[in-house]
Amino acid sequence: MSDNKKWYSLDLNFKKKKESSESCGCGKTSGGCNSHNKEMSDDAFLEAAVNASIGGEVKKDGFEQVFDVKMDRRTAFKKLTASLLIGAGAVSTSCSVSTGEDAKEKAQIDWEEQFKGNYKLMTDEEKSGTVERLMRSYELRTGKNISMTAENAKEDVLFGYAFNISKCQGYMDCVNACIEENNQDRNSEMQYIRIHEMKDGEGFKFNEADDNYYHEVPAEGHFYMGTQCFHCDNPPCVEVCPVQATWREDDGLVVIDYDWCVGCRYCMAACPYDGRRFNWSKPEVPEKEINKNQHYLGNRMRKKGVMEKCTFCVQRSRKGQNPACVEACPTGARIFGNLLDPNSTIRWVLENKKVFRLKEDLGTEPKFWYFMD
Amino acid sequence: MNRKNYIYILGCTCLLVLFSCKHGEGEYHSLNDKIEGESKKYHGTSLSSETYLDDIKTIEITEGEHTFLIPERKSQIKSFACIECHTKPVEELKSKDAKKAHWDISLSHADSNTMNCATCHNGNDMNNLNTLTGNMVDFNSSYILCSQCHSTQFEDWKGGAHGKRIGGWAPPRASFTCVNCHNPHSPSFETRWPSRLNTEQIEEPHEGLEH
Repeated sequence: MSDNKKWYSLDLNFKKKKESSESCGCGKTSGGCNSHNKEMSDDAFLEAAVNASIGGEVKKDGFEQVFDVKMDRRTAFKKLTASLLIGAGAVSTSCSVSTGEDAKEKAQIDWEEQFKGNYKLMTDEEKSGTVERLMRSYELRTGKNISMTAENAKEDVLFGYAFNISKCQGYMDCVNACIEENNQDRNSEMQYIRIHEMKDGEGFKFNEADDNYYHEVPAEGHFYMGTQCFHCDNPPCVEVCPVQATWREDDGLVVIDYDWCVGCRYCMAACPYDGRRFNWSKPEVPEKEINKNQHYLGNRMRKKGVMEKCTFCVQRSRKGQNPACVEACPTGARIFGNLLDPNSTIRWVLENKKVFRLKEDLGTEPKFWYFMD
Repeated sequence: MNRKNYIYILGCTCLLVLFSCKHGEGEYHSLNDKIEGESKKYHGTSLSSETYLDDIKTIEITEGEHTFLIPERKSQIKSFACIECHTKPVEELKSKDAKKAHWDISLSHADSNTMNCATCHNGNDMNNLNTLTGNMVDFNSSYILCSQCHSTQFEDWKGGAHGKRIGGWAPPRASFTCVNCHNPHSPSFETRWPSRLNTEQIEEPHEGLEH
């Protein structure tokens, strides 16, 4: 098994309960190890071709991404210290006779999580590997189970969103649903969705909009518009990320690997729509309120100092469900669907209503349209 | 010699231009082109929202080129069938000794020149509704009555721009019908309090950032 891992394995004498169906380490269950010799040589050829044309950069994965890069002394020391601490913890638990199996397993998981690669570059097995580790780690820490998936983008799907400004009444039901669905911190007022109360007849003046209203709605002479991450097709936040911790998936969702994010907030500065949020403190959710249906790229628990944002509820939308905000909206102002399906309601809206997007001239191509009745 | 050099440099520049002008955005010029282009080879998705509609009884309707599901209505009406009580003319039922059921319904929909009870209800056939011209309409298809006046809303609803989608985004499409949101006797909405305080935009800490 250890042959096809892209990080150093540390064997803590912990016997993992894994099925040994893949004994040869090549991931093939039939035909024996030798059957893929031809394939491997093809791969090798491809690798050589890729290296020759665009350099070896793209093939780095696992520990190489951590160690095999140029870095200044401070970063190097930081990384070494963090790794050493985890390593020391792992060694001390493994050598100690008194620590239990659970502690050893926890140390093993921490070790493997520390040295895992960027989710974007992971194979499907590696993705399910890290998801399993995260679920097990949660179980070890809290004694409770969560269900986390690493579902990939479905083919023939490109998600889009339309928002009816005539219909939104400022009820804020969407925000409540979003907070609960996405396990957002209950203390800080950090929310993915913002509802702006604007004066009729004055256009969109975000600087004059009331974002903190609390009165009966809809208020006379006002309209409401919601903003969140627009999942741009040409996302500037992705361009600026120095560690490639955020990217655009094939179904159009712009996602973040919370474990790869270094919290530099470049993306927050690059986003022209104020769509990204930062965890200034450790997000805390009461145990009984935690949404246990999670996705690696979606609503799993975040840590302090990483970016997060709306993912169009990736844990729901990739199963065919509507995002929580769409489901919660009592007015039907929020419309979500597949842009590639010519019969979808979102396509009807785009083709039959007068739609517009914010800051269209920037060329960011947001997949979030506004329209009126 | 000089001329040869020129041609050489020109050739190199041409090659450079050819290979350096490759855009990273892929084959489409804009998102609209992409949607149009990619949806030509759309084969449908493996996803379905049928499981999310399990607990809602729906009926399929076809209006124009749109076919979709709406919630079944008759089983949701508390005292259907109506003729179980409406055995006598309404005037007689209004007398003091009769059992009261929905005596408190008052109509605040358009004005009395435009609408009264008989605009939608048929006193001789209480189990069904009727159009302006007196054609019978089933309670499950009550949207037909609404569409007689609210034609733009009806167009938007058919397409999916008005009204609330239920289930999920994946096919089959299911949408609320008019009466799932609007009370037909009083179709507008009251103002209400927001369900929470709106976002407090966090003031970013500025210490150490003086210029």
